[in-house]
Amino acid sequence: MGPPSSIKKKFLKKWITGLQICSSSKENMSLFERKKAIKLSADVAMASARNATTCWSRALIANASKDDNNKILVDHILGTESERLKKASIGSVMCNNKRVRSKKILKKSCSFRRVKKMAPQMVLASSIAKRLVKKRTLVLKSLVPGGEAMDESSLIEETLDYIISLRAQIDVMRRLANASEHLNLK
Amino acid sequence: MVLALDSHFRASEFRILRFLGFLEGIKAGTEFRSVNCGDKTQEIGVESLQFGEEIQRLISVPQESGTSFTALLELPTTQAMKLLHSPESHETPVDLSGEVWSNGRIDRPKPYHSQSFTCPPTFLSNTALLEHASRFPLFATTENSPETSSIPSNSSANSHKVKQEPVDSDSNPDSSPIALKGATKKSKNVANEASEDGEKLPYVHVRARRGQATDSHSLAERARREKINARMKLLQELVPGCNKISGTAMVLDEIINHVQSLQRQVELLSMRLAAVDPRIDFNLDSLLAAESGSLMDSNFPGVVMPLMWPEELVNGSRQQYQQQPWHFDGLHQPVCMREEDNPNFITLENSLLSYDSSANSASLQPNQLKMEL
Repeated sequence: MGPPSSIKKKFLKKWITGLQICSSSKENMSLFERKKAIKLSADVAMASARNATTCWSRALIANASKDDNNKILVDHILGTESERLKKASIGSVMCNNKRVRSKKILKKSCSFRRVKKMAPQMVLASSIAKRLVKKRTLVLKSLVPGGEAMDESSLIEETLDYIISLRAQIDVMRRLANASEHLNLK
Repeated sequence: MVLALDSHFRASEFRILRFLGFLEGIKAGTEFRSVNCGDKTQEIGVESLQFGEEIQRLISVPQESGTSFTALLELPTTQAMKLLHSPESHETPVDLSGEVWSNGRIDRPKPYHSQSFTCPPTFLSNTALLEHASRFPLFATTENSPETSSIPSNSSANSHKVKQEPVDSDSNPDSSPIALKGATKKSKNVANEASEDGEKLPYVHVRARRGQATDSHSLAERARREKINARMKLLQELVPGCNKISGTAMVLDEIINHVQSLQRQVELLSMRLAAVDPRIDFNLDSLLAAESGSLMDSNFPGVVMPLMWPEELVNGSRQQYQQQPWHFDGLHQPVCMREEDNPNFITLENSLLSYDSSANSASLQPNQLKMEL
């Protein structure tokens, strides 16, 4: 079973709004610009389908709202909720930034480290493992929108949610792409 | 201060995950620990008895409230509930014999062998172990005291101790594991009286963990670890091909690859749509012009569907729509099985807009679609 169809429905509705706005606003857009606009409307639509309940959706909306070019698009897609959602997103992003900064300060100031006494071989293996995991966690944080400001457990939650939303988004987009391509071939 | 189980949970959907991690994550950690509680086995056995009852209580509480998060993941729901249900299905006591433990020290007979566990046999014993390990400081003071009397008083004292533990860690995520631990102690008091009756309590063996339990930091960290492990399990089930991989780093690798591939697919699809786009724009515009603003707000299906139809009318050709089983509410067989042009034509609209096979006329379609969506 794939992503729930309710998510797909919500996403499709919002996305179509965005697409209509895109198409109606500019006449001569290059391919690249069109692609960007489509992708942006898709992302924002997916994020707003989440209703800003998850961290990544808030971060996505906040990032999208920062750019003035997209403001109209984002506003329309967000619809009636736009003001509230934007405030929530921007607020959470700022909180996250503060949290990240304070965590860094705390880490630097906290010099005490508990020493675990283990056999030398085990120390080596576990430290290697830890380093690997840490590296990958950093990469994952860069992938998930808004991931920088999350701790590990919430990062994993957000990844879960994000993966499902991405799957729903891809499903809808693929069908629309297939449909329109077939139509265009006629 | 009483640590109520419910009061510390931030969101009900996370209870399940935390609890799972709480229970299962210990498994990885405890294999290596040497056990040194030969003289405490009796007391431990009793507490493990009581703990089993607490587990059932813990499980039954989050069960109905865990729908929101797991409802999101419709597939992992079943898996997550499976993980949950494996302990849930055993209301009556289960005998976890010493097969769990490699050193296999079984000190007591097993009278409560009622059902077999479907979930890993380490399950309850791990919980009991953690519970015991977390109470290790307690044991240091009450080694030879009689079980029933000392434990209740000491547990209450220890619950305070447990609560004060991770002041420095994240407020919410850690408070619930601590709440879990405190609650388990509390329930042990309750279960203590019933320990003599004991028919309903599972019988597990607990092994203390050496050298780690005393530190509040390590306890908090262990709780954190378990939470993370539970969530990683869910992720593993979600991402295809992760089930066989063991080791956090590899699993994370797979997850990263998966997320990257998904994002790349989004890019590709948007590029495809951009290439196709002018037609859609045209249609959308004409549609918007043709159909007044009444369509704009609520009837996007109506807008989308006519998008397809003008193409047909213009071309005068008929297309065969292949049914795409999309799990929409009330999805019916697609209507338009006409002379085929594209056997592999999959229309979004067909999937989206489930319409009856009886209605074939173009004019009827948009209305039907509007109604159905």
